Amino acid sequence: MSYIPGQQVTAIVQRVEIHKLCRGEILILGFSIGGGIDQHHSQNPFSEDTTDKGIYVTRVSEGGPAEISGLQIGDKIMQLNCWDMTMVTHDQARKRLTKRSEEVVRLLVTAVSAEGCAAVHQSPGE
Amino acid sequence: MEDCDVHSAASILASVKEQEARFERLTRALEQERRHVALQLECAQQPVVGSSGMVGNGQPVPMAWQQLVLQEQSPGSQASLATMPEAPEVLEETVTVEEDPGTPTSHISIITSEDGTTRRTETKVTKTVKTVTTRTVRQVPLGPDGLPLLDGGSPLGPFADGPLDRHFLRGGGPAATLSRAYLSSRSGFPEGPEPRDGPNYGSLSRGLGGRPPHAGPLSMGLGDGCFTLPGRREAFPMGPEPGPTSGRSLPERFQAEPYGLEDDTRSLAADDEGAPDLEPEYGTVARRRPECGRGLRARAYEDTANDSGELMEERPPFPAATAPLAQPEQGSLGSLDRVVRRSPSVDSARKEPRWRDPELPEVLAMLRHPVDPVKANAAAYLQHLCFENEGIKRRVRQLRGLPLLVALLDHPRAEVRRRACGALRNLSYGRDTDNKAAIRDCGGVPALVRLLRAARDNEVRELVTGTLWNLSSYEPLKMVIIDHGLQTLTHEVIVPHSGWEREPNEDSKPRDAEWTTVFKNTSGCLRNVSSDGVEARRRLRECDGLVDALLHALQSAVGRKDTDNKSVENCVCIMRNLSYHVHKEVPGADRYQEAEPGPPGSAAGSQRRKRDDASCFGGKKAKGKKGGEMDQNFDTLDLPKRTGAAEGFELLYQPEVVRLYLSLLTESRNFNTLEAAAGALQNLSAGNWMWATYIRASVRKERGLPVLVELLQSETDKVVRAVAIALRNLSLDLRNKDLIGSYAMAELVRNLRNAQAPAHLGARLEEDTVVAILNTIHEIVSDSLDNARSLLQAQGVPTLVALVASSLSVREAKAASHVLQAVWSYKELRGALQRDGWTKARFQSASMAKGPKGALSPGCFDDSTLPLVDKNLDGEKSASRDVVPMDALGPDGYTTLERRERRALGSDSIGEASETELLKPDPGRKATPTGPSRPSVRLVDAVGDAKPQPVDSWV
Repeated sequence: MSYIPGQQVTAIVQRVEIHKLCRGEILILGFSIGGGIDQHHSQNPFSEDTTDKGIYVTRVSEGGPAEISGLQIGDKIMQLNCWDMTMVTHDQARKRLTKRSEEVVRLLVTAVSAEGCAAVHQSPGE
Repeated sequence: MEDCDVHSAASILASVKEQEARFERLTRALEQERRHVALQLECAQQPVVGSSGMVGNGQPVPMAWQQLVLQEQSPGSQASLATMPEAPEVLEETVTVEEDPGTPTSHISIITSEDGTTRRTETKVTKTVKTVTTRTVRQVPLGPDGLPLLDGGSPLGPFADGPLDRHFLRGGGPAATLSRAYLSSRSGFPEGPEPRDGPNYGSLSRGLGGRPPHAGPLSMGLGDGCFTLPGRREAFPMGPEPGPTSGRSLPERFQAEPYGLEDDTRSLAADDEGAPDLEPEYGTVARRRPECGRGLRARAYEDTANDSGELMEERPPFPAATAPLAQPEQGSLGSLDRVVRRSPSVDSARKEPRWRDPELPEVLAMLRHPVDPVKANAAAYLQHLCFENEGIKRRVRQLRGLPLLVALLDHPRAEVRRRACGALRNLSYGRDTDNKAAIRDCGGVPALVRLLRAARDNEVRELVTGTLWNLSSYEPLKMVIIDHGLQTLTHEVIVPHSGWEREPNEDSKPRDAEWTTVFKNTSGCLRNVSSDGVEARRRLRECDGLVDALLHALQSAVGRKDTDNKSVENCVCIMRNLSYHVHKEVPGADRYQEAEPGPPGSAAGSQRRKRDDASCFGGKKAKGKKGGEMDQNFDTLDLPKRTGAAEGFELLYQPEVVRLYLSLLTESRNFNTLEAAAGALQNLSAGNWMWATYIRASVRKERGLPVLVELLQSETDKVVRAVAIALRNLSLDLRNKDLIGSYAMAELVRNLRNAQAPAHLGARLEEDTVVAILNTIHEIVSDSLDNARSLLQAQGVPTLVALVASSLSVREAKAASHVLQAVWSYKELRGALQRDGWTKARFQSASMAKGPKGALSPGCFDDSTLPLVDKNLDGEKSASRDVVPMDALGPDGYTTLERRERRALGSDSIGEASETELLKPDPGRKATPTGPSRPSVRLVDAVGDAKPQPVDSWV
């Protein structure tokens, strides 16, 4: 996912639309994120590029909304409801994802192995 | 200062006021004259002006209005007070000549005459100004008249008093785009050839609008010496002031426009109520500026050490961000700024052209002036002069200015003490050590320490500790600082700021450390002095409460996940230095010694002996500690039980610290902190005393090995080096050795491969690092067939052979051939090696070098210690330049110095490693297969588990 500044970024992205699940008071998406511009790259196990401080999906809970929507471990979240997510802190990402006002989250993600797998896990949102 | 001489201030004030009144009268007359001419001109150019004026009422007004808002707020933003009196003044200009400047009525009358919309009536001030604008737009034709008038400022000098200037500023300034450009060019002036005018502008409006009281002492200082304190260009952060301040007001009105990004974040911040981190970042541009100034400042500290504070304050690139508004009291130049800014504001600015700046000897003479404010001002000016000017610093020393300043540290007046200390801080800063020596020679260190004890004012404490930090980088001063200052620094700063309490209140939770500037400076100072050798270490270790407080501070940092700052770095470095040679140097260390392993004998044998000895010595443990039973089985090592909590220097080597260092290694992103934490583990795990055994085992138990292995991937050379050496020391523990052999080998070899990469790729490691890695590999390959196999599997042999063949460094080549030789010594592996096409010759060539190397092995280390120092001098220097280009001038020296010290210590640590080398049984001995004891599967799990958990959040 590294890119040269000024160059066009080419990444195979897919849309994932996740409907949050109401769990008591809170809405959950059912996955966990790692990374962020404030995190050490070593905490991002899915990218070779040490300068990549993107937000990655680190875990997906079984049967959760995220899994149902086709989100996979290792996906990098590029956009969230049209917000850019490639340059955010971990906390910002978390907050944006967990906004209570938004029941549906539309993600633009790119997979580690996106080139190969893009076709395979096309998301329902597509 | 104001408070210290009320009397003189009052009298001066009176005279100033009188003068002011006179000038005001003159001004008015002048103004009347001007208006008269203006009217005539206006009549003459009626057609043109008329049309523009009409438009002025329509379209351009909002434009001008906005601009005005900007400009209006810029000089006035310091206090709305400042704008208030000005507005009426402007009015006076537009409406009637005789209006009293201060009267609010005129203000109101303007409003009515303007018949503004409701919207406008809200902000009377801006509105009035707006009136002026339109008016002045009409007056633009006056240009020939008006502009010359501005320039005529200097000819008019004697008359040109505040109000007049303000007229110009107001009249000319807001006058639509044209004059605005003029204004802004004006603000650029300070850098230009005519520094004097610019700042006057900036300052006048404020000074007049603001507070004459300040003028008192200052004007006296000026009057007395007949000098103007300003003068130098950097001294005019005020000049560009409209810049930053308009920046400040900008976001309030035009927030979204500049960048899409800003828009983005702003709206995010808006609906994301719980995002505090956004606030400081994007709140307003204005807040960002000072923030960024501060941030840079912090960075300067981080990377360049001792005293970049002053640098930031006066740094030309940030005259705007200097933000005397934002942090008026901070640091050296704050003071000077004030001097500069106010002195002209009094009334003098206009007259100054005929004054000259005082010569250095005169400034120094003023340090003895009977009037205190003069002393203070002279010291402040001196501080300003010295900034980044080694020549001046030298001259101050040659003119024997340092004893004068040191003497002023004990002056009864706080202001004088503070200024003197500020000057000393600048003077003590730099690569040139003569000033430091001179300060010492006139008793500067005890005086500073006295001042620190006496001072309650935080600024003074920052200055004192900053000065001490500067001084502490000079070797001969370290012991002096320890002698005079250690107790005070510890008890006045370190302990209180660390949050450590000797007798913690049971109910309240432990206090957190406060990362204040004072703490940072003090810890930096102690960090420097802690590298001064055995005696210094002993004194620091035994200084009551110091180790406890440092540990508490670090723990608090880890607890708050705030491990990247400079204070933490300083603390870890002190801890690392104090951990050095603990096994030899702490009182009673001999009780814990384990027997020196005999040179011959297998690893297992020596281990067994150690174990036995340890348990033997267990009975003789220090009072206060029960001899814990050492389990014979190293896997379940029992730590010694203690009756009382460890305290003081004992804390340095308690196995509990392992967790702290590992947390730092996991969390911190500060390379210096990482290096120091790894270095501390390295120091603690060296040596053959019982505690080192515990530490080595604790690192394993706390899952520290994967953390360390992970750090082998660090991009920072010195981190890799420290970690490699630490791993090597840790592998003295046999189980560690197995683990490191299995899991670190690939990384170690990868680093070696990088070492051979072409230099331009930037991945190239320094020679010392390569040697350290090779030594670590050698250590873990020796006596462990499995580890040697791992090396083969990691494709280490080709790498090593290539290193031997191609390395330009003799040390690298030797160390690599040493490893190859060790590999070849395993007969079991020879078959595999030969199958891969390797011939004995490859390894023989290694053993060719071996002949002398038997003796060289230790000698090699000795070599490495000394050259390390020199070499790193250069290496670090350039590195630090890269990091902080803006500090290319001064602080660099500090970096180097300080780093060199640490480096010297680091090299000591390598000495330590060499010591462990001696521990190591003869390389010629045969390996004992450790096959069965190798729980490989479990180890995989262990590594997997202990990998630093990604910080992730469920959503």
